[in-house]
Amino acid sequence: MIVCVAVVGHQNNPLYIQSFTDADDALKLHHIVHCSLDVIEERVNNPKKSGTTLNEAFLGLLYPTLNYKVYGYLTNTKVKFILVTTDLDVRDTDVRTFFRKFHAAYVDAVSNPFHVPGKRITSRNFAQTVSNIVGSYGLN
Amino acid sequence: MEEYPEELRTPPVSLVALFGYSELHTSITKHLHSQQPPVNALAFPDLSHISLLLAHDDQINRTSSVRDPLSVSDSSSPIPSRCGGILKRDWLLKHRTKVPAIVAAFFPSHHIFGDPTQWLQVCSDLDNLKSAIRPKNIKLVVIVVQSSPQEEISEDRLVALRKRAELDSKYVLFFNSSIESELTLSLSRIASAFAELALAYYREEGKRIKSRVEKRSSNSLDLNVRYCFKVAVYAEFRRDWGEALKFYEDAYHSLHEMIGTSTRLPAIQRLVEIKTIAEQLHFKISTLLLHGGKFIEAVTWFRQHKASYEKVVGSTEFIFLHWEWMSRQFLVFAELLETSSATVQSFSSLNQGTAEISLTEFEFYPAYYYQLAAHYLKDKKSALELLLSMSETAREIDSSSESITPSVYIGQFAQLLEKGEAFTLHSITDEEYTRYTISEAKRFQDSFEIIAWLKRSYESFTNLKAQRMAALCAFEVAREYYGLADPNNAKLFFDIAANLYRQEGWVTLLWEVLGYLRECSRNLGALKDFVELSLEMVALPVTSHEDSGNLENKSYGPGGPATILGRESIHREVFTLVCRKAELISSTEESGFKIAHDSPLNLEIDLVSPLRPVLLASVAFHEQMIKPHALCSITLSLLSHLPLPVEIDYLEVQFNQSTCNFVIRNSQRPLWASASNTVQSGSQVENEPSLVLVPNNWLRLTYAIKSEQSGKLECLSVLAKFGPLFTICSRAESPAAMEDLPVWKHENRVESLSTKDPVLAVFGQKATQVEEPEPQVDVSLGTSGPALVGENFTMPVTVTSKGHAVYSGELKINLVDVGGGGLFSPREAEPFSLESHHVEICGIDDGAEGTDESESETGNIKKIQQSFGLVSVPDLKEGESWSCKLEIKWHRPKPVMLFVSLGYLPHCSEANAQKVHIHKSLQIEGKMPLLVSNRFMLPYRRDHLLLNRIKPAPDSEDMSSLPLNEKSLLVVSAKNCTEIALKLVSMCVEFDDEQGEASCLIQQVGGCGDTPGSANLAPGEEFKKVFTVIPTMKTPKLGLGSVHLKWRRQGGNTTEACVSTKHKLPEVNVEASPLVMSLNCPPYAILGEPFTYAVNICNQTQLLQEAKFALADAQSFVLSGSHSNTVSVLPKSEHVLSYKLVPLTCGQQQLPKITLTSVRYSAEFQPSVVASSVFVFPSAPQADKANCATKQ
Repeated sequence: MIVCVAVVGHQNNPLYIQSFTDADDALKLHHIVHCSLDVIEERVNNPKKSGTTLNEAFLGLLYPTLNYKVYGYLTNTKVKFILVTTDLDVRDTDVRTFFRKFHAAYVDAVSNPFHVPGKRITSRNFAQTVSNIVGSYGLN
Repeated sequence: MEEYPEELRTPPVSLVALFGYSELHTSITKHLHSQQPPVNALAFPDLSHISLLLAHDDQINRTSSVRDPLSVSDSSSPIPSRCGGILKRDWLLKHRTKVPAIVAAFFPSHHIFGDPTQWLQVCSDLDNLKSAIRPKNIKLVVIVVQSSPQEEISEDRLVALRKRAELDSKYVLFFNSSIESELTLSLSRIASAFAELALAYYREEGKRIKSRVEKRSSNSLDLNVRYCFKVAVYAEFRRDWGEALKFYEDAYHSLHEMIGTSTRLPAIQRLVEIKTIAEQLHFKISTLLLHGGKFIEAVTWFRQHKASYEKVVGSTEFIFLHWEWMSRQFLVFAELLETSSATVQSFSSLNQGTAEISLTEFEFYPAYYYQLAAHYLKDKKSALELLLSMSETAREIDSSSESITPSVYIGQFAQLLEKGEAFTLHSITDEEYTRYTISEAKRFQDSFEIIAWLKRSYESFTNLKAQRMAALCAFEVAREYYGLADPNNAKLFFDIAANLYRQEGWVTLLWEVLGYLRECSRNLGALKDFVELSLEMVALPVTSHEDSGNLENKSYGPGGPATILGRESIHREVFTLVCRKAELISSTEESGFKIAHDSPLNLEIDLVSPLRPVLLASVAFHEQMIKPHALCSITLSLLSHLPLPVEIDYLEVQFNQSTCNFVIRNSQRPLWASASNTVQSGSQVENEPSLVLVPNNWLRLTYAIKSEQSGKLECLSVLAKFGPLFTICSRAESPAAMEDLPVWKHENRVESLSTKDPVLAVFGQKATQVEEPEPQVDVSLGTSGPALVGENFTMPVTVTSKGHAVYSGELKINLVDVGGGGLFSPREAEPFSLESHHVEICGIDDGAEGTDESESETGNIKKIQQSFGLVSVPDLKEGESWSCKLEIKWHRPKPVMLFVSLGYLPHCSEANAQKVHIHKSLQIEGKMPLLVSNRFMLPYRRDHLLLNRIKPAPDSEDMSSLPLNEKSLLVVSAKNCTEIALKLVSMCVEFDDEQGEASCLIQQVGGCGDTPGSANLAPGEEFKKVFTVIPTMKTPKLGLGSVHLKWRRQGGNTTEACVSTKHKLPEVNVEASPLVMSLNCPPYAILGEPFTYAVNICNQTQLLQEAKFALADAQSFVLSGSHSNTVSVLPKSEHVLSYKLVPLTCGQQQLPKITLTSVRYSAEFQPSVVASSVFVFPSAPQADKANCATKQ
């Protein structure tokens, strides 16, 4: 189950962060998302050391922590998407599909002429789309 | 890691027991330790101790009193595989310290080869030994100690010894310590024999146990685990890491199968035993993997380990046991990784071939595991706290309740009961066990360990530049300190986290941290910090309306959830606290602060302060330049991000010119008695009907101010006062240079301009320039044409007052080179550039007019440098004037710019009044007054063969040549190249040194009517003077000295000193001419009358000179004589060619041209055209002075 998704701007400022749990661990998820930025930074800055080749936006598993797994995605404009899931067995293709849909939703949201780039995303439509994508995750 | 026993943490080392000859033991033990791999040795003085060593183990095993009661009952049961536990606690230690692989018996050689009684003793000793070690398969080595190498050896006895000991010959060794070389040899022999036998022993033991595993003789999993563990340990003894790893893993997997199947012990203890053993096996496996450099395998293994036991929680009531166990797994792995990862830095092979389980970077950092270890320990702590709070009984448990100790088996506990003399161990129930664990757990302060691990993790992450992870660790550390009621330390770490969250604008996280910090400062009683933190929280862009309505929820910090309601309530709290009225002070004690009623609270907000959103002050002047004393508009815009409107009592605007400071008063508020202490009385006070800051709306105020003082006028800060004791001082910012608020810039909000005028909002500045008052004094520079090089040029400067009096005036004079004057070529300038000053100020004559006694008393400043001068101007009243003369001297012709600036005070009274400045400038051309040139002339009608002239040396192209000892003429001319008339006073040639005087003779030709060089020169006019030059020394470069000219401006003051100018004459080449050709002919001829034309060829050398001559016909003359021939001229003699000529035409006629060629020098020369012409008169002239006419 996806418990949290986040959009982080290129100055590492949060643009959109939404958790999907009933429990009150939103703050914990905020911390997890924030810490995962360190992993992204390391992976982007030292691609050699980590042995990964960054020729795609999907960054893969960022780190496992406690009961969560954190996945990352980096767009060309250095906007980061972060996904936190509690699933133990995660299929790479599912995550990729999720990020692809999420990216499309993000592009739609920021293409709104009333949206100022770099500002928080407050669009309700975007939130609705995201929760739909989250709901459909792993179904197919 | 330290909590594991030593034998588990280090790789096992083979053990050897030495018997007899104790004096040798030290050296042998030392040698064995230094071997690779090392061997441990037990030393006993004689063989009788063997029974002690080996019996020890059996005795313990047979003491039923200590034996586990379960296993006692099992031993009677028909199934032999049932046992009391999985692994015995002391098994490993026993094999490392008590059960040797080899027994080495030392016998002195004379016991063997000497007396038969002694030999018999040896035999019986050996028999005893053998019988003791045989059941354990321990290997035997016999060492015969020789006292000297020459000692006699009986072969028979040796064979008998081998037979008796049942040993191969290579295990009966000789030891000789008498000689150094023998000793080392013996030691190495012993070491190799030991190594070999130890290997054999451990291999056999391993094989023996392995066969049991392979046969699967028992279906019992515990035995399987035990056997696998033993095989692995024996493999480790042999340093066969691969096999050790394999069997440890087998043991681990078998153990995992036991979960849920084993029924031996009560449920909780059963799981505890399995987990304890799993932990030890995991530790062994991880150590082996990491020491083998297999990081990826180790990390993958850890992940699997964690995954397979994560869910094995056991009883949920006592879940704290599980969390403690998990925490230990992470901690131990972190420590292992830390000790071994120092050498391995790169994980280049990461993620290769491990497509299924991809590892991430942070899983290779110990910090990651420390952090999680701390996290699980925290879970344990909270679980334990919950347990203690839930159950009454748990709380009552105290540590001294039961004497429960670890039992014989790893992971089991038993109760130690005293029965008379003997102690017995009794198995315990789960209830007893949990009581014991709770009492144990209560003894520990987990917080300190959590803090220690998190700090380690924090440092490690900081070193790795993973600042966000580090911040999270710092936050956790701080929270732990907070929980321990240590606000000082907590504050330290909260600040670290808060700084990062501020930077990156993670508002919810920042809110949380600030909430904690606020409580810390409340606990510390730091009112200012409390107010600052509260205001920062209040001004955060928290826009969420969600309110769970459950403020008691534990997942939030003391700041509560980040909602607008939360902001508003903190806002109200802090403003009631700071804006309280004096009589309400006593009632504010519930906030935790007691403040004296006269201690004001001032907050400073600068450009980097996190409090900027609380009060943002933007100040813009409407004009960039203002006149002094004139009114200028200034707009003051205030913005606040506080959630509720706040009312300001009064505002104070502060400038760098404190006289401009002004106050804006809220007329609805009473005037506080102590209102203004920084503003001078009598300064401007404005009244506003209301001063309310509405959230996210600019409060714009425009006023007019005026400045008395010229220079920069800058607004420094805006001070807002709320209530009697609380002020916020915000640094003023220019609208043009205003930066976004770091936490607000990513928010979606309506952004309005700080001023109504959009131009001002974009370009407005908080500073303006106040102009100087208009000067009412005139400075004039009187010019009198161009300056001449060499003279002292005077420049009158006049200061005239036209409305202002002049006090403490100062005149500054500056000479500046006009760049690229172009009057002279750079090549010319270069040699002089060292002198640098081509034009300099020689003096300032300020006493020319109105020299008063009083002026000299005022202490006039007068400073002159080469291009700079400073002179003070006496005080002048209105209408008065003063002048001075500058004397400037040019050394080179060039234009310069003269800058004159006058600074003065219009009033003498004001001490700090500003000076008024007037600037004037003038370009002055410096010109060369006289152009001097010179020309050499050789004696008339005498032509010298000057070889240098025919074949000029390459470097002397322009150099003229003069014949030695001949009188030549030098004509010097001076031309006035200015536009004014000059008077030339004198002209003469002077040598520069004495050498010139000795080598040359120069005389002035006393022409008729010539005054000694004095002449008036109109512009463009030229003056010439003739000198004779007789060189007396042959030299290629003869210096002729220089021409000295003395001149002055005509018509000027005759007393004025003459200016002396020097012109250096060129150097000449002096040489002796071998041949001189002189023409002899009458000064004039008469038409039709014949005359003689003689050419004298004079040989001035000591050699015979052959000369060819050729005479060309001339149209105007009839000629008789040879046209061409070769003549020989004897040394120092003369040859005369004589011709008779009859002129045919009148006038200036060219004589027949003669060309002389010297054969010796192959040089040809001719007389000049002027020299070889003659004037022909039609008839004989009447005048006597005819000879004068032919001169020119």
